[in-house]
Order: sequence, then C-alpha cells, then structure tokens
Amino acid sequence: MTGLIVAGVTLVAAVIVGLALRSRNGRIRMSAPPSEPDAAAGPGSSAAIPASGDGDRGSGDGTPAQAGLPADVRDALAGEAADVTLVQLSTTFCAPCRQARALLTHVAEGTEGLRHVDLDITDRPGIARDLGVLRTPTTIAYTRSGGELLRVSGVPDRETLLAALEPRLPADGRSAADRSDVGHPTE
Amino acid sequence: MSAPQAVDPRGPRFAAIVTTVVLVIVLATGWWPLLAAQTVVFAIGAFVGLRPAPYSVLYRLLIAPRLQPTDEREDVAPLRFAQAVGFAFALVGTIGYASGVIVVGLVATALALFAALLNAVFGFCLGCEMYLLLQRISPRAGSTS
Repeated sequence: MTGLIVAGVTLVAAVIVGLALRSRNGRIRMSAPPSEPDAAAGPGSSAAIPASGDGDRGSGDGTPAQAGLPADVRDALAGEAADVTLVQLSTTFCAPCRQARALLTHVAEGTEGLRHVDLDITDRPGIARDLGVLRTPTTIAYTRSGGELLRVSGVPDRETLLAALEPRLPADGRSAADRSDVGHPTE
Repeated sequence: MSAPQAVDPRGPRFAAIVTTVVLVIVLATGWWPLLAAQTVVFAIGAFVGLRPAPYSVLYRLLIAPRLQPTDEREDVAPLRFAQAVGFAFALVGTIGYASGVIVVGLVATALALFAALLNAVFGFCLGCEMYLLLQRISPRAGSTS
C-alpha cells in the first residue's frame, strides 16, 4: 500500500518537474548589466577603459570583464574577434548538447559578427563552478570585451536567440531593418 | 548496423517506458526479485553495451519492424552513463528490499522511477544532466580553472 502511494507521488512529481524543465528549456536569461561594461559606455569605447582599481581580479590579461572569467573561456574569446561569442558548455554525457551544437554552429555560420565555441567541460568541472552553471548545455553570450550578455540553458530556440542578440550584432548581419546602434538592448 | 556509436533514439525511449512500468510494479508489489532483474538490465546497458541490453533487443524484435526507419541517431555515451546511474539506484533499492530495510528500497526505486519517467515522457535524461552536479559533489573536482 505504501509502495503504491510512493509510486503515485513519484509519478506526479516527475510530471511536474518534467513540465517545468520543458518550459525552461531554451529560455533566455538576460545577464545583469554590471557584468557588461560597454552597456553604459556605448559600443567601441569599452575596450579603452583602463583597468583601474575598481576591484578587478588579475590585471594585464585582456579587459577588466575578461579578467574574471575562467582561463579556458578567455582563450575562447581571444580567438578571432567577433561582436558576440556564444560559449557553449557541454559534456560527453549530454545528448541535447549535440543538438545545441549543431544548431548554434549553423546560426553562427549564417550570422555576421556571431561566433560559436563549444567547450567540453567533462573533465574541467571547475569552469562550470566558476560560471555558476549547473546543467549542460548552457550557452553564454559574451561581448568582444568579455561582458556577459545572456545565458540559455538547454537547446536554444534559433529565432528567440537571434532576436535577443540582435542589438549587439552588426545591422547588416541579418536582413534586419531596424538598425540599433544606440547600444542598449531593447527589453 | 553501420554506425556502432549511435542508436535509433526511439529505442532508448522505449526502454525508458518499459523501465517505468517495471519500477511502478516493483513499488506497488514490493516484489524485489523484479527489481533485481531490472538491476541486471541496467548493468548490461551500462557496462556491456546498449545493443545486447534486453529492452533494446525487445525494441528491435517487436517495435522497430513496425516503424518507419529513421536517419536520426543518438550518441551512445550519454545513454550508457544514464544506465549506470539507474544501475546504482536499482542496486541500492534491491539491497534495501532484500535486507528488509524497506524504506531504502522504496526511496531508491522511487528515484529511479522518477528519472525513468522523465526520460520516457519528456525525453529528458536526468542522469546526463546530473553529470555536472555529480562531479561537483565528488571531492577531486578542485582543479584550478
């Protein structure tokens, strides 16, 4: 009898959690503005801000925003410069990571100013800890200077992601009509 | 079988459905030999391979011939990891039931059922997603970043 109740409770709990996870999948969370220095300064000028003593950890290594990032993420950003770099965190044991990788690779290829890097953190859990990431795939969008724009957990939705990144991408990247060079993202 | 490292994703989904039913029966009846059998099924999937796993064989014999073939393939590594997680819970549950500590049996089986149902209904692999968390808990995760 107890077993039957346990089975029932478990089934209900699993359905509730499953629905919650499904609704969260691919949802975009905008990051807090303080981690993104060029939101206030405007595009182009952010890299010129000197790393003055406002609590920066480690100096000389890129911009102040980049200094707080794990080394592997910094390396990923240090490659060919793009307006926005999507850093995807994956593990070997993660089936949706493969879907996310295929989708993001495709999106980045078709979008000017957008780059995609897939970091396999199976053997480097420290990165997940430093970035506060609990599940894979999690994709974090960084500006050129290392400021965090947004995060997506699960497999992203192509259109939603592009719409959220649009203010950050060169206007001719997509066939978008509204060029927004003011720099603050539209809510 | 051209690609040994990938499987028809509907196979594991079918296996998760069978697992769900089996675990519900275990909970309802408390008949632990069935849970022991499920533990062996998990062990084969995790440590031998997905192809010889009983539910995969069942899928190929009974279900696959009735479905359209698909080009869709799913990587094996996440699935085997999930089977290993299932194995751990089923083993603890079996030991709990068999040794008379029914609470342990109930809780472990319920957790396995929880994961199996998420996979069966939502295609969500809890064991795979938990990988990061499990690593975080393990003490050797202190490498410099």
